[in-house]
Amino acid sequence: MRLTSIEDLERRRSEAIAAKDKVEQVILVCCGTGCLASGSGEVAQAFRDELAKRGIDMEVRLHLKTTGCHGFCERGPIVTFVPSGVLYQKVQPKHVPEIVEKTVLAGEIIKKLTYKDPKEKKNISQYNEIPFYALQTRIALRNIGQTDPQSLNDYLARGGFKGLEKALRMKPGDVINEVEKSGLRGRGGGGFPTARKWRSALKVKKDKLYIIANGDEGDPGAFMDRSIMEGDPYDVLEGMIIGAWALGSDEGHIYVRQEYPLAVVNLQHAIKTLRDDGLLGKNILGSGLNFDIHISRGGGAFVCGESSALMMSVAGKVGEPRAKYIHSTERGLNDLPTVLNNVETWVNVPIIIEKGGDWFASYGTAKSKGTKAFALVGRVNNTGLVEVPMGISLRELIYGIGGGMQRDREFKAVQTGGPSGGCIPAELLDLPVDFESLTEKGSMMGSGGMIVMDSRTCMVDIARYFLNFLLEESCGKCMPCREGLLQLKAVYDRLVEGAGVEGDIPKIERLSKTMQDSCLCALGTSAPNPVLSTLNFFRDEYLEHIRDKRCRAGVCKALTKLYIDPQACIACGKCIPGCPTDAITGAKKTPHVIDKPKCIVCGSCVEVCPTDAVRVEPARKPAEVTR
Amino acid sequence: MAEIIINGKPYQCEEGEYILKVCRRNNIPIPTLCHHEAVEPWGGCRLCIVEITHPKWPGWKRTVTSCLYPAQDGLVVETDSPEIRETRADLLDLLLARCPNTDLVRKLAAEYGVTKTSYTPRENPDDCILCGLCTRVCGELMGRAAISTASRGVQKMVATPFMESPEACISCGACVFVCPTDAMAQKWKKHMGRELKPIPSEFDQGMCGRPSIYTPFPQAVPNVPIIDKESCVKLLTGDCGACEIFCEPKAINYDAVDTIEEVNVGAIILATGFKIFDARRIPQYGYGRYPNVFTSLEIERMINASGPTGGEIKLRNADGIEKRPKSVGIVHCVGSRDDKTHKWCSRVCCMYSLKLAHLIKERTGADIYNFYIDMRTPGKSYEEFYEKLLKEGVHFIRGRAAEITDATLAEGEEGKLVIRAEDTLVGAVCRIPVDMVVLSVAMEPQTDTDDVRRVFNIGCSTEGWFLERHPKLAPVSTFTDGIFIAGACQGPKDIPDTVAQAGAAAAEAMALIDKGYVQLEPNTAFITEELCSGCKTCVGLCPYTAITYDMEKLRAAVNEALCKGCGTCVAACPSGAAQQHLFTDSEVFQEIEGVIDYV
Repeated sequence: MRLTSIEDLERRRSEAIAAKDKVEQVILVCCGTGCLASGSGEVAQAFRDELAKRGIDMEVRLHLKTTGCHGFCERGPIVTFVPSGVLYQKVQPKHVPEIVEKTVLAGEIIKKLTYKDPKEKKNISQYNEIPFYALQTRIALRNIGQTDPQSLNDYLARGGFKGLEKALRMKPGDVINEVEKSGLRGRGGGGFPTARKWRSALKVKKDKLYIIANGDEGDPGAFMDRSIMEGDPYDVLEGMIIGAWALGSDEGHIYVRQEYPLAVVNLQHAIKTLRDDGLLGKNILGSGLNFDIHISRGGGAFVCGESSALMMSVAGKVGEPRAKYIHSTERGLNDLPTVLNNVETWVNVPIIIEKGGDWFASYGTAKSKGTKAFALVGRVNNTGLVEVPMGISLRELIYGIGGGMQRDREFKAVQTGGPSGGCIPAELLDLPVDFESLTEKGSMMGSGGMIVMDSRTCMVDIARYFLNFLLEESCGKCMPCREGLLQLKAVYDRLVEGAGVEGDIPKIERLSKTMQDSCLCALGTSAPNPVLSTLNFFRDEYLEHIRDKRCRAGVCKALTKLYIDPQACIACGKCIPGCPTDAITGAKKTPHVIDKPKCIVCGSCVEVCPTDAVRVEPARKPAEVTR
Repeated sequence: MAEIIINGKPYQCEEGEYILKVCRRNNIPIPTLCHHEAVEPWGGCRLCIVEITHPKWPGWKRTVTSCLYPAQDGLVVETDSPEIRETRADLLDLLLARCPNTDLVRKLAAEYGVTKTSYTPRENPDDCILCGLCTRVCGELMGRAAISTASRGVQKMVATPFMESPEACISCGACVFVCPTDAMAQKWKKHMGRELKPIPSEFDQGMCGRPSIYTPFPQAVPNVPIIDKESCVKLLTGDCGACEIFCEPKAINYDAVDTIEEVNVGAIILATGFKIFDARRIPQYGYGRYPNVFTSLEIERMINASGPTGGEIKLRNADGIEKRPKSVGIVHCVGSRDDKTHKWCSRVCCMYSLKLAHLIKERTGADIYNFYIDMRTPGKSYEEFYEKLLKEGVHFIRGRAAEITDATLAEGEEGKLVIRAEDTLVGAVCRIPVDMVVLSVAMEPQTDTDDVRRVFNIGCSTEGWFLERHPKLAPVSTFTDGIFIAGACQGPKDIPDTVAQAGAAAAEAMALIDKGYVQLEPNTAFITEELCSGCKTCVGLCPYTAITYDMEKLRAAVNEALCKGCGTCVAACPSGAAQQHLFTDSEVFQEIEGVIDYV
């Protein structure tokens, strides 16, 4: 049914809430990309089959929903139950009959499927008591995992479009004032105040103004925008419609990576539904606002996440950035004023309008308001999608929500901000996570990737990894980025091969400075960040690579010799079968030994050793060092 | 208007004008590789970086690309500070690693003290610096987008769609023209399977190219450029328009069309000149077959300092250091004094051949061989010049050259052109191997002589030279009053003679105009209308087009101003209506009677 007024929408919402209230129980099967990969599609099907077999009515008494990402990807597939609040982790199709029998019908909790806290060693059955969730503040991700991303009624029943309702009753200028009050800043990385961006576009606007949602999330290991677009597409669209009202725009684009097929499908469905129901198109809800949204699919170039390159790509040109001395708010897509915000920024807009800017501003720090979603990955126990208030310390994030380091290894560094960000070492663990603090330490907020590294990570190699990524993803338009990355990589190739020389560090620093000074876009000027931050905090590791020809993490093979510490070895024999060159020998109850000439430093023994007895040989004494 | 400070000095500019543009206008050097006036600034090479500060914002300092940074009032720009120079040197160091063999990069890098890259040079480098000029010109200016960059990062390259010869390409050559290195020319050849040929310059005898907009020659009147309709992309497709961007006074008008102007004049001087003999008509001389057989006019352009080689005498097919000929043969009377081509002596060839011989010897030190029939050196100081050349050691062989060939018979002839001729003074046939042959081609009438003569109703010799009324008494007049001739259209002659004749023609014309009226002979024809039947016999016969047919009266009528009193119409008129003053039938009969009476 096409909605033609705000009252229509309110009516529709109350109907949706009434329908929802009738349902006694809801089973939520996470079908985010992570859980789908670990088999949640089969689990959902198993539920359907089982419920059908038992003749349970799935219309009235019980609903089965496939939802967006719950965030706790480490423990997927995740199944939760409403209203009991029970969460089951690592659910397999074989568990389904038992779950239906015991939990769904009898309300019993199956202990083996509940989350077991590694620290406290106790099982937690309630969703909101699991530290991973309990410590989060979910604003941008509030609906993800709770609704069926394809159902508008689901979204309405959770209070969806209340922000738009309120916005349409306000003057456009007041909407911007509210956003300004909230202190919302761009979630894509730069942290530019959203309201200021909107105002500067309005200042130069003549007839047409474009709105763009940037969903081209290219950082390795980041999936915040993906989860939002897949799990809560209506929220993104609502944010954009409110933006269109505030800015008087009639055309919006969502730029989604081709690698996010589910996001494209869900967004397409949501756009079609909104068009059919009169929430997109001409005269939205009788307000006089004409606005439509189109999906532009990117070809998978990292650089197209840069706003000006993105606009080139939307316009069908080669995705290369341009100099932004004239901002895209003035001359953006098709040389017209354009407001581009990250998906996560847009998703914050509806709730800011609904609950007020002051409410949003009550979260976070003085300069960084609200919350931020992070993709917490790496050598941490609980990897996944998390949302926390700005200003939380890295320690809380990693040791609280993240559940500490895997195998209790020593924390070494955390990489934030993606390839353009930097590494933050252990001594700065108490650094508050906000735009200013991270930038000050040579890293950046970025779009929210957070890669945790332990002592088994070589910082030279990590810098080389990001250089390699950037080298492949540099658009090649500006010379220092294209050629500079190639030459930086050449130096790093030497370093990890053990061919590094004393002059290499000054060379890296000089080249990095040249790139920072002269590159065209932020991708280029920030490309040396991983290099400089590792060099800044882990200079001794670099020197070790150059002078001692040793990689303490055991990553750079040419610089690593492994041995087994006889004191630590428990002679379990686990390392022996995995060794591809049969270099490890050892009988029962005698510590194993690596035959060094045979060892190819593949690291398989390191991974399997339960006591971390396989170690990297220490540096030779200075007298022995030969160049 | 805004004022910005560049390197300590104030300059006026428009608000928002790009800094580079302001600097270029004021001759402040800033190196660039990817900038071109005709396309949008791009900011790819980063060499044009400058340092900016603003007195209003203390502590604010940025390094920006001047090609893209809009000027604001009060902006302080440093274009050549030590930091900027250092960064530029580093950038060029990087670029040199990409293109270690490219002259342009090496030269620019050397200016910044970088002679060898400190980075790892690229393996198998080409000359492409990825400045993007070719793709931008093709897309932005030509509207074709037949080429683009493909791939990204270090793999980025200029390419055609699917690496095939692109349909959108119109072979305008803009990409090759704009490419600052040799890269695009090589790429073009690779993709298209042939070399891109420039539009041959007519004035330089096709020895070099010219643009689609060009001044025909340095002394052209009026001395303004013209647009070649056949090749101008703007006129063909509506794109490009680069010349308009460069033309500061905005003088270019693409809408101009050819017009025919009608001018009323009292006298006309015909000075339509001559054309040179096409040496291909004598195939045994090998012109057009051997690259190093030239016509005298080609050598004339080559010797000229503003010519295609900048005044150097060069062989056509050779490259490297051995560009200059070591021996040159000059063949006289090519197309003159020849039963098979033109019988006349072209008069100027002996002297210009001597001039060329002198200049070639002076420039190259080559051995010069002149093959002549007779040396014709009449006139002031001409014979003395001939004498001088004999003393200079220029060889003169009396005898018409029989053949020019690259077939070698003897040692020392390999790779050379051999001129075979009979030395009539020695009475022997000789073979002279030379590097270069100059054919002293004849002067001949323009091909459209006959059409022109009909338009102006003047006479023409059988060869095609315009006829003067009298060789001695009226050398610049023609049989039509008020029409005069001057220069080589009347017959072969050199420049001094032409100038003298032109002066005479101008004086004659002035004499006619200055009087203000035309004096006619009284013996003009007239039509007795009562007798005229309107048969029009006389109209076609009148050699001076003096008779017209009056459509209202249906009778012939004589224009007395045109009539020369030749009497053709009178003799031809079947009805006796055409009569001539002083020679009417009755007057003639009375004269006859008088004569008879006398007898």
